[in-house]
Amino acid sequence: MKIWPILAAGCALVLAVPVIAHDGYIIQLLNIAILNAIVVIGLNFVTGWAGQINFGQAAFYGLGAYTTAIATKAGLPWVTTPFLSAIVAMAASLMLGLPTMRLRTYYLAMTTIGFGEIIRLIIVHWEPVTGGTSGLRAIPGISIFGFGPQGQVQHYYLLIAILALAVLIAARIRDSVLGRAMIATKDSEIAAEQSGVDTVRTKLLAFMIGAVYAGLAGCLYASSIRFISPDSFSGTQAILLMTMLIVGGMGSIVGCVIGAVALTVLPEALRFLGQWYLVLYGLGVIAVIVLAPGGLASLASLVQLRRANVS
Amino acid sequence: MTPEPIISARGVTRRFGGLVALDGIDLDVPRGIVQAIIGPNGSGKTTLLNALSGASHADAGSIRVGGQEIFRLKPHRIARLGLARTFQNIRIFDNLSVIENVKVAAACNSRTSLFNILTANARHRLSEADIDRHAREALDIVGLALRADDRATQLPYAQQRLLEIARALASKPSVLLLDEPAAGMNMTESMTLLDTIARLKNSGITILLVEHNVRLVMGISDRVAVLDFGKKIAEGAPSEVQRNLQVIEAYLGRRHRHA
Repeated sequence: MKIWPILAAGCALVLAVPVIAHDGYIIQLLNIAILNAIVVIGLNFVTGWAGQINFGQAAFYGLGAYTTAIATKAGLPWVTTPFLSAIVAMAASLMLGLPTMRLRTYYLAMTTIGFGEIIRLIIVHWEPVTGGTSGLRAIPGISIFGFGPQGQVQHYYLLIAILALAVLIAARIRDSVLGRAMIATKDSEIAAEQSGVDTVRTKLLAFMIGAVYAGLAGCLYASSIRFISPDSFSGTQAILLMTMLIVGGMGSIVGCVIGAVALTVLPEALRFLGQWYLVLYGLGVIAVIVLAPGGLASLASLVQLRRANVS
Repeated sequence: MTPEPIISARGVTRRFGGLVALDGIDLDVPRGIVQAIIGPNGSGKTTLLNALSGASHADAGSIRVGGQEIFRLKPHRIARLGLARTFQNIRIFDNLSVIENVKVAAACNSRTSLFNILTANARHRLSEADIDRHAREALDIVGLALRADDRATQLPYAQQRLLEIARALASKPSVLLLDEPAAGMNMTESMTLLDTIARLKNSGITILLVEHNVRLVMGISDRVAVLDFGKKIAEGAPSEVQRNLQVIEAYLGRRHRHA
């Protein structure tokens, strides 16, 4: 197959980025893109595969970030925070998922929007703990028994490694009993049930795995960006995450990464356009959805098809 | 003394608003036979099948499969008790490959944990290997082994029906419910299908066949039940049912006049 040279070139490019781009701002932007990619891969479990619309993903992202920020600022060692953030996200998704995973798509969408809003309101109004609208600053950085990445470039490499792990785990789940059950649930819930799939349990698991991805990304966000505010985890962010998933390609892990990176970097790259950037951005998203309904990831397979037809 | 029937339904009733789609149906299906359920459009055949499989529960009655009451049980629980089905309107999993479609059902009775999946330990690999083997066997039975890695949507219509049968077989059912399996098939494909059904029966699976096409089922069925307006109006060996005047009036006669 011709996939290996492309993959190797891609890896080389990813690893060389900090050498090419000395600008700390660009690296910082890419770090946020990587974190978004992890959150979108999480969203893909429940929305891309299990077919349940979830606008609560930004709230799980925020829960993870605030849990870590509050815990480290209170003096807890950093090593505990991934666990704390994961547990908080898991518990919240279980509480929200248990009653709602029986609901059909639109009702679920409404419920998750409501959940996101509740979390945002708690963050905004619980000022003594969360810092309210001004957020939390000077959050302690990643440190495992005194060792931790220094500077943005080291953070970049660490986050790339964690993203790779997130991709591998997602790919492994996709090719297991659980991944097939998720996709079967999306394609035909009744046929999945009659094939012995407990669809409610499958949807709940997809929802919870996605929430844990978001919670862990939130933990890393808080301790690598070192500043968080409610804006980063609002309803707008939830819609943006969903857009990343759709533009990148629902159901495709690679698509999640492409979508997250493209929609994180693009607004900054188009900043020179001033207010016009939103117009271009909107048109771009519409163009992808109309011309490539399978997302950017589907373009690659389209090219392959073309080539196969020509040869 | 006859052995206990594998399916035993009593007074199965299903209402849709004012319409009584199933009106106190009693049905006993002996083990290992091909039981056909025929009747004109709207007579309640698919509704009965949905009630048996749990896809759409009956409002009243009792349904036992292998001696166990399944009334109001969730469909996946019924599937795990050994009752598999296909659909009149094909419901394959579009975003999965042919073999993956079958694997979904082949995993019916394998329990695995997220921990096993993430660590890809020996238990996980063993269970995936088992699932793969069962799925390939099922594809072999319906003759789709060569298309295992294709996208399910790439299959032509008749083969998608076969894929549904393979998927149902992969859960190793004791009862197989087929809802108009020959719909949309040409003569050759239908004949192959009948041949497959006969082989399944010989392997010990009880088959409940819902069919619109009477000629197709008469040859292969051991027993035929006739539904009309949600009531069972006749039951017996194919030859008996064919002679039954009521059936001819309700169903065969009308069809013949139209034809």
